[in-house]
Amino acid sequence: MFSKPLLKATIKQNYIVFLIIIATLMLYLPIIIYMYDPSTQDSLNKVLETLPQGMIAAMGFSNIGADLIDFIGSYFYGFLILLLPMIYTIIACNRCIASHVDKGSMAYLLSTPNKRSKVARTQSLFIIVSITLMIAIVTIVGLVLSNATFPGLLNVKAFLLLNLGSLLLYYAVTGIGFFASCLFNDTKNSLMIGAGLPVAFLIIQMISDVGEKTEFYKYFTMFTLFDADKIISGEGFIVQFIALLAIAIVMYGLGFYVFEKRDLPL
Amino acid sequence: MSIIEINGLTKDYGDHKGVFNLTFSIEEGQVFGYLGPNGAGKTTTIRHLMGFLTPDKGEAHILGLDCRSRSADIMKRLGYLPGEIAFFDGMKGMEFLEFMAKMRGMTDTSLRDKLINLFELDTKGRIRKMSKGMKQKLGIVCAFMHDPQVLILDEPTSGLDPLMQKTFADLIVEEKNKGKTILMSSHSFEEVERTCDRVGIIRHGELVATQDIHDLRLKRRKVYLITFDNSSTATRFAESSGFDIIEVNENIVKLSILGNVTEFIKTLHNYTVLDLNTETSNLEDIFMHYYGDKTPSAANM
Repeated sequence: MFSKPLLKATIKQNYIVFLIIIATLMLYLPIIIYMYDPSTQDSLNKVLETLPQGMIAAMGFSNIGADLIDFIGSYFYGFLILLLPMIYTIIACNRCIASHVDKGSMAYLLSTPNKRSKVARTQSLFIIVSITLMIAIVTIVGLVLSNATFPGLLNVKAFLLLNLGSLLLYYAVTGIGFFASCLFNDTKNSLMIGAGLPVAFLIIQMISDVGEKTEFYKYFTMFTLFDADKIISGEGFIVQFIALLAIAIVMYGLGFYVFEKRDLPL
Repeated sequence: MSIIEINGLTKDYGDHKGVFNLTFSIEEGQVFGYLGPNGAGKTTTIRHLMGFLTPDKGEAHILGLDCRSRSADIMKRLGYLPGEIAFFDGMKGMEFLEFMAKMRGMTDTSLRDKLINLFELDTKGRIRKMSKGMKQKLGIVCAFMHDPQVLILDEPTSGLDPLMQKTFADLIVEEKNKGKTILMSSHSFEEVERTCDRVGIIRHGELVATQDIHDLRLKRRKVYLITFDNSSTATRFAESSGFDIIEVNENIVKLSILGNVTEFIKTLHNYTVLDLNTETSNLEDIFMHYYGDKTPSAANM
C-alpha cells in the first residue's frame, strides 16, 4: 500500500520546512491569545476604527467581537492560518512528485519494484498526515494556552470547528497542489498551478473582504468556503465543509489518475 | 527464450522524432548493443522498456511481461542505469545505495560492497558534490547490486576514464557468463564491440540493422597507417597494390580495408614496414555504411 523507505526519505526532505512553519505559527498564536484582554477590547476597537475600514477588512480582522473565540477567529484564522501552512504545503506538494520527475530521480524510484500508484499514494499520505499534524499542533497549543491564560473563556466547540474547517481547507489546497505535481513534467508548471491558484484565491479573498463593492469576488475563491465568522456563529458551514472535502477527494483522485496514466520523460 | 521483445513499437512525437515500428528481440544470455547518434530514439526505446511511456502502437515485453502495465513486477529482476544521472537531493553515496536497497527489499549487501571496491567508489561524499564519473559509478553499482537477471544500461560508460571503462567491460562479460541479458545503448562502436554479441543500429527512430557483431566487423572499414622505410617504397606499394589508398604522405601510406586483412598482411610481407597503426574508425563510418546519404542530415553526422 505504502512504501516505508520512500516515506522516510520524504520526511527527511521536508521536516525542516515543516518545523520552520510550525515555529512561526507558534510564535503568532501565543501573542494573539495574550493580546486578548476583555477589559481593553473596547479601546482596541477604537484604535481599529481610526484605521481605514477596507484595510482592516482585507487582513481578515473584520469582526473584532468581545469573545476570545472571535478575537482568535479574526486575528489567527482570518489570515495567518491561510498563509503560513500554505507556504509549507506548496513546497511539499511540488517536491513530492513534480520535482522528482523534473530532476529525474523518479526514474530511480520507478526502477524499483514499486508501482507508480504506490509512489503517488505514499507521497499523498505524507502530505495529508503532515498537514493534519500541523493543524493538530495548532489546535492543541491553542486550547492549552487559552485555558492557561483565560480559563473557561474559550468557546471550545467553535475553536475545534475552526480548526476542522482549516484542515478541510488544506486538504483541498493540497489536493490542488498534489494534482498539479502529478500532472506536470517540470517544477515551473507544477508551481504555477499548485502555488499560483491558492495564492490567487487568497488575494481574491482579501479583495472580496474589502467592501460591498468587491464582495462578489468571493464567488471566485475557494477560500469563501472557509468563513471563520460563520463557523463561530454556527450559521451554515456544513455544506461548505462537505464541498471542501469533495474538492480534496476529487483533486487527489485526479492526481492519482493522471500520474498513473501519463508518459514520464525520465 | 526471448527475454526482451519489442514488437512494432511506435511513439510519434511529431517532426520525425520518436520511434517507428521498432521490432527486435534479445535472447537470454545475450549482450545487445543499441547504437545510434544522439536523438535517434535510443532513450525513447529504453523509456518504453522501463514502462515510463505508453506506446502509440505496438508493444514491449520483458520476461514475457508487458512493460507498461507490469513494470513493478519486471523491476524485481531488472537493473537500470539511466542516461542522465539524477539522484536525491543532499543524500550521501551510501545513503542512496541503502535507500535503493530498501526500496527493492534487498537485504544481501555483499555484491554491493564488492562492486564499490571494484569501481573504487567513494560512498562517503554527498552526491551533489561528486564528479560526473563518480556519479556514473554510483549509478552502475546501483544497477548491478541486486544481481538482476536483466540489465538496461543507457550509455553506461559516459564519464568513465579508460581504466574504469575496462573494468566496466570486464563486469559486463562476467555478467554475460552468468547468463544475464543485457541491453546497453551507446554511441561508441568501440565500447559496444568490446562486450556485445549483437548490435542494433537505430537512426531517426527506425531500426536500420540488427547484426551479429562478427558480421558487423566484416562489413566495417578500418583505416591503416603504414610507415615504410622511405618514400619510394611507399609509392611503390601504393601503385602496385590493389588496395583502397586514401593518401600517400612521404613514407606514410593511409588506406582503408573492408573486413578481412589477410591479403593486406601478405602483401606487407614484401616491404620494410617501420610502423603499422590503425586509425580507430568511429561509429560514423559504420553509420555511413548503413545510412548512406539518403537524407541531408545524414551527411552532417
